[in-house]
Amino acid sequence: MADDKAQVKVRLYRFRNALKEKVGYVGGAPGEPVRIDPAALEKANAALEQMKEDYPDWVQKHIEELRLNHARCVDTPNDRLKHYTKMREIAHDMKGQGGTFGYPLITTFATSLYEFVGAKAGTTDNHIEVIKSHIDSMAAVIKDRVKGSGGEIGQALTKGLHEAIERYSKIS
Amino acid sequence: MSQSLDLSRVSCLVVEDSNFIRSLVVACLNALGVRQVKLAEHGGDAIEFLKLQKLDPMKAGVLSVDMIISNWQMSPVDGMILLRWVRRHADSPNRFVPFIMLSGHSAAAKVAEARDAGVTEFLAKPFSVTMLAQKLQTVIERPRQFVHTSTYFGPDRRRRGDPFMGQERRVLTDKSPGVEIVNG
Repeated sequence: MADDKAQVKVRLYRFRNALKEKVGYVGGAPGEPVRIDPAALEKANAALEQMKEDYPDWVQKHIEELRLNHARCVDTPNDRLKHYTKMREIAHDMKGQGGTFGYPLITTFATSLYEFVGAKAGTTDNHIEVIKSHIDSMAAVIKDRVKGSGGEIGQALTKGLHEAIERYSKIS
Repeated sequence: MSQSLDLSRVSCLVVEDSNFIRSLVVACLNALGVRQVKLAEHGGDAIEFLKLQKLDPMKAGVLSVDMIISNWQMSPVDGMILLRWVRRHADSPNRFVPFIMLSGHSAAAKVAEARDAGVTEFLAKPFSVTMLAQKLQTVIERPRQFVHTSTYFGPDRRRRGDPFMGQERRVLTDKSPGVEIVNG
């Protein structure tokens, strides 16, 4: 027996579906397709809609924190990478949230910022300007409540940020 | 006709450091009918809660945790460390518990990293309510067998019914020597 045990290379666990046993089924008959109750889904979406209204205030705190870290980058050039770490965490949060709450441009700009504050990112003054352009763009999205792709304003903000990135990249 | 899921007896642990996203997940779970939702702010909190749940379920306020929904990037203990602890640690109350990872990391390499650590489902941020609900349904309706090898412990990384396009590396079948089936 001991030899048999020693030879086991793969163990496959096939347990009964305990979770399914806790779940009840409403309507229909056994064997019919299962779905999330559309009324419950509607209720969940209503909860999200409610939260969307509060999102600009919430994200404003992140933008202020970014501004603070940007200011520290300007004040203390030797510590820039340290402040990048904090900004990267904030940008990561923002890129994950924007789209859910109806502001995909926040996700787009935060995704770009995330790359610009990486551990190997540049630390020149021009690079700091690029970071500022990202923060300004995100602040504009929230100030003007630019939801979805943002139409003309959204396009202008995206174009403006791309131009700033290009301009400062050329100089550096 | 179709049947709707009644999730009122399901309990869920939500681990998320952003209180805004945490509120959203809880609001969604409540709206979908999940009544018992426990919260943790990061992986360390979650581990302490799960230890307590194992030792003293009454004190923890929940007899079992049926599902974990966790963010990946958190500090000081992130979702990946939590996942590894849940799957591997002797103190884990249930090494087989479904684990849904939420993450802003959506690159294929990151998804693969979570898969290889034994994640059940991966939900990239930003996500919609419908996407979250679909993940819950998949966890409930399409559970996978667990595989334990020298290098992996977690849900079968190959989903049943999905065509596999890569190079076939599986040489063992259920009847091969070296394969042990544990039913329960």
